[in-house]
Amino acid sequence: MTLDLTATSVFVALFLLITWLGFVAARWRKADLNLLHEWGLGGRRFGTVVTWFLLGGDLYTAYTFIAVPALVFGKGAMGFFAVPYTILIYPILYIVFPRLWEIARDRGHVTAADFVRDRFGSRLLALAFALTGIVATMPYIALQIVGMEVVIGALGFPAGGFVGHLPLIISFIILAAFTYTSGLRAPALIAIVKDTLIFVTVFAALVIIPAKLGGYGAIFASVPQEKLLLAPPSGDSLGAYSAYATLALGSAFALFLYPHAMTGILSSSSGNVIRRNAAFLAAYSFILGLIALLGYMAIAAGVDKNPAYAAGFTQYGPNFAVPALFLASFPSWFVGVAFAAIAIGALVPAAIMSIACANLFTRNLYKEFYRPDCSEADEARMAKIVSLVMKIGAVVFIIAIPQAYAIQLQLLGGIWIIQLLPPILLGLYTRSFNAPALLIGWAAGTVIGTYMAATQGFTSSVYPLEMFGVTVPGYAALYSVLINFLIALALTPIFDRMGRTTGSTAR
Amino acid sequence: MSNGKTKPSVLRYWPRLLFLVPFVAVLWVSSYNRIAPELGGIPFFYWYQLAWILLGAAIVLVVYAIETKVTRVTERSETEAEASGGPGDIL
Repeated sequence: MTLDLTATSVFVALFLLITWLGFVAARWRKADLNLLHEWGLGGRRFGTVVTWFLLGGDLYTAYTFIAVPALVFGKGAMGFFAVPYTILIYPILYIVFPRLWEIARDRGHVTAADFVRDRFGSRLLALAFALTGIVATMPYIALQIVGMEVVIGALGFPAGGFVGHLPLIISFIILAAFTYTSGLRAPALIAIVKDTLIFVTVFAALVIIPAKLGGYGAIFASVPQEKLLLAPPSGDSLGAYSAYATLALGSAFALFLYPHAMTGILSSSSGNVIRRNAAFLAAYSFILGLIALLGYMAIAAGVDKNPAYAAGFTQYGPNFAVPALFLASFPSWFVGVAFAAIAIGALVPAAIMSIACANLFTRNLYKEFYRPDCSEADEARMAKIVSLVMKIGAVVFIIAIPQAYAIQLQLLGGIWIIQLLPPILLGLYTRSFNAPALLIGWAAGTVIGTYMAATQGFTSSVYPLEMFGVTVPGYAALYSVLINFLIALALTPIFDRMGRTTGSTAR
Repeated sequence: MSNGKTKPSVLRYWPRLLFLVPFVAVLWVSSYNRIAPELGGIPFFYWYQLAWILLGAAIVLVVYAIETKVTRVTERSETEAEASGGPGDIL
């Protein structure tokens, strides 16, 4: 592939625009950025519209836009589970998180670990939360880089070696610099540009590409029959049905436990802002559903058989499907717009994820265990430095380690993060559970979930559970969190009888 | 409870039972895993789930509207937010 100059110029111009925005964001809704809740939560002042852009930019990441259609392209109907998943997240967001927001605001919590620390009075449980959050988010940041790499490669930059990684390294230095100076305000402002570009790209794709391919009927007709639907249950196995449903349900419960999602939620200005967004964020889900269909359009367009893209598919696998489809369908300048949308779509969540991890590290490790007496300015300074370290770590991770590991770790990350669900849910609605029971539940869930993934060679998170002679393949995260919850439920009365207290009863 | 108000009865949250509908609709996979009827060339499996994104959002809006206007369970946070309804809440 040769470098596409028109596309690259548009791409670089848009990148410069968001770099400028990232730095001016420091002066937006001006406040003292030497306070952690100002730097790391934007002062909890984002209203319905800004929160809509921020959460949209945060949750619907570049990797989603590359990987979901890639999955549909490669595996067909199973890859569409992202759609029921994004349908189910909003009732959960509506019911659970306005309440969490209120408690967090009243008691000054910046992270989910702050919340359980206060709620159950347990430093160890908070430590488990902080470590799980950081470890699960690191590969997620790394995957954003994978998303960027694919589009940078598709622009025609040479792949591999130091020169191949240079555009990536430069963009991450820019990202690190504006996150350091502006905090959460930077991704919030950039998200507005990113989301607009994504909407424009998807709209154009849905107008132009089906017209070129002869309409949706022709697109679906060119998809192999066995990919179009889920394989129905056969024999004594529920097969694809239970896998599809549990993947959707488990992913939905896991999503808002991720530190970056929590940060986005806590930065909003009221519980009603969250409730309204539980309805309006569906616009992004709809876009995601349409983007998933791009996988079939790539099949119909036959991009994987086009020799011009053979090198790209060899290098990036099915992840190259959407970039190839755009290259084949759009004029150069618009390829630049579309690829910029994806690359900026990587920077927004990467910024928020690194901020969220920095908040966790500073509040729940550094301040809790190392410098309990540190000043607020120290706290904010530490968080800024950690956000830098997180990004350097993610870049090194992706350059030094084979990409497959990042994907496997992210898969494990979903299993690990969902283990935080019982303490959060129970902490919101009851105080009758005790911390050691929750901690043991967390540990057991983490170990069992990891074991389930290990039995699948870390390539799939669907575990074939045998129950009463029936095989129920399902998402390991959902199975393991169920065990986690049951253990907490069973151990709580036992520990209570042993005379332990049930923690903070401040509310 | 810190603010001397009585805790609203759980029954006041009845509109949230509506949230069961999208869960059943999308988790009951066998009910929609088929090609016919197609819509504009799109198999049922796909347009059904795409339609549920919009229906799901509509249900959230309905629950929010009922809770704001009728059962008033969102009222407390409404009064607590400093600039609720003002530009601070919107932007």
